[in-house]
Amino acid sequence: MAATTSPPDALHLESLTRVFTPRGKAPVTALDGVDLRLPAGGVHGLLGPNGAGKTTLCKIACTVLLPTSGRASVLGFDVVRDAAEVRREIGIVFGGERGLYGRLSARENLEFWCAMHGLGRRETRTRVSALLDRLGLADRADSLVETFSRGMKQRVHLARGLVADPPLLLLDEPTVGMDPVSAHDFRALVGELRTEGRTVVLTTHDMAEAESVCDTVTFVDHGRVVGTGTPGDVRGLLARGSRIRVHDVADARALAGPLDLPGVLTTHDPARRTLDVDVEGGQDVVGQVMAAILAAGHTSVTAGPPSLEEVYLGLLGTDGDGNRRGMRVGS
Amino acid sequence: MSVVRTVATGVVVQLRQMRGTPDWFLALFTAPLTTAVFVTIFLHAGRGDLTAYGVLAPALIALWQMSLQTAGELIAKDRENGSLEALLAAPAPFAALLGGRVLAVVAVSLVAFAEAWAVGWALTGSPVDVAHPWVFLLVLGLTALAMTGWAGVMACVFVLARSARTFQNSLSYPFYVLGGVLVPVSLLPTWVEWPSRLVFLSWSSDLLRDALAAGPVVGLGARLAAVVGLGAAGYVVAHGLLGRTLQRVRRTGSLAHA
Repeated sequence: MAATTSPPDALHLESLTRVFTPRGKAPVTALDGVDLRLPAGGVHGLLGPNGAGKTTLCKIACTVLLPTSGRASVLGFDVVRDAAEVRREIGIVFGGERGLYGRLSARENLEFWCAMHGLGRRETRTRVSALLDRLGLADRADSLVETFSRGMKQRVHLARGLVADPPLLLLDEPTVGMDPVSAHDFRALVGELRTEGRTVVLTTHDMAEAESVCDTVTFVDHGRVVGTGTPGDVRGLLARGSRIRVHDVADARALAGPLDLPGVLTTHDPARRTLDVDVEGGQDVVGQVMAAILAAGHTSVTAGPPSLEEVYLGLLGTDGDGNRRGMRVGS
Repeated sequence: MSVVRTVATGVVVQLRQMRGTPDWFLALFTAPLTTAVFVTIFLHAGRGDLTAYGVLAPALIALWQMSLQTAGELIAKDRENGSLEALLAAPAPFAALLGGRVLAVVAVSLVAFAEAWAVGWALTGSPVDVAHPWVFLLVLGLTALAMTGWAGVMACVFVLARSARTFQNSLSYPFYVLGGVLVPVSLLPTWVEWPSRLVFLSWSSDLLRDALAAGPVVGLGARLAAVVGLGAAGYVVAHGLLGRTLQRVRRTGSLAHA
């Protein structure tokens, strides 16, 4: 009987380390011994703050950056030794407006990238027309890209990543600058790519985006993986009981007394007019809390597992010393 | 992936980028003016016999400027544009693409020869005679190809050296002398003549002037071989340097920024 072999992982990192040494400055470790396996198929999100190492990881995976040590392979091909094979297997989309030729039309840009991936003339014509249509660019296909809005350029980037019909797509913050409608369409597109059997690796700061499209998420911080798994798995990383959110709470003082219970923590957000009630305890305590909220006349209440944003803030909202990241707003 | 096809892709994408962008053609705007200056001085001095020199020099200067200055910045421009990373992540050979793009710029720069010739005709009332047209065309073609190789070298220098633009600007005029673009190197002091023989342009400019003159072109084979040999050296240096340059920027992580 022939032995069955499992398909290679879409991305397999072993002790991957990348250190940058800026001229005259101290070395910066962007990736610090990362071990990670992302299986082929599905949508995999890489989440983390700016400078966490997500983009460095994407650049190593697409062969434009060499690892300092460790190993990375893409669909079974080593990114250093088999760089040519890796380039045939991937499509890469870097976020932002840059990277396109502004003096060329959208169609000419895509034709160029088809040629860079070795597509024939007839195939190029068909592929480019289909992609322009799919990305909603058909009516501006022959306009110069320099006249496009940021969101439209981002769509051309996405089309560029798809010209070679790659089995693996690396999307590095692909929705930066997209308006909400385009971002919504993007999520639908990613869903289609998943259905087509492709693997999508997506870096993003947008937790709603990650929540809606990702089959697995990996949190990266300071060049290390701090959590990985399905969205359901990573919710478990947040050591917390139940959360009840009370809406339309302008003044939380009325609830302060009734909710002054052991294992109950309340957080009032005056801007959103919400009161989050975290309950450490069994269903009896949850029942007590719910009763107190309803007794105070609040009927707009939601309860459920923590969102990815909450998991993100729980895992990455503070730096290594426990200080809150970001702006000093509301602190 | 086919190298020839990638070169052709490079030519097409470069011509499309240059379309409607006057910045790329600056040397073609200045070449007729420089020709007018040179030819007018020669005519005023009663040296109408030097008109051919006055016509060739601005055309060769335009060829140098567009090739080594404009085409030499191609990799740096791609880095500034943010497209270099995606280009290197594509399966097509980057060297072939760069070669095609440089070739397109060099080919366009040849328009300067027609411009200078037309200005010379307008000022003197008669066209500069090309006594050996096939030799002229052959030398022009080989010169353009040699220029393409050395522009590749310049493109790598631009990525590697932070002060490349200073280097580029300060080198132009010495190379106009060493390349004999206006004054034949045989008229220069001996200590200048021998290093100029290592510059392919000195052989090209001498051959082009001889191709315009009525007399025979002496030692054509050996002189063509010098252009070909020194031009080929440019390709060898460019190929080696490009490989090392790209490996270095991958290692240092400086692909996306200068």
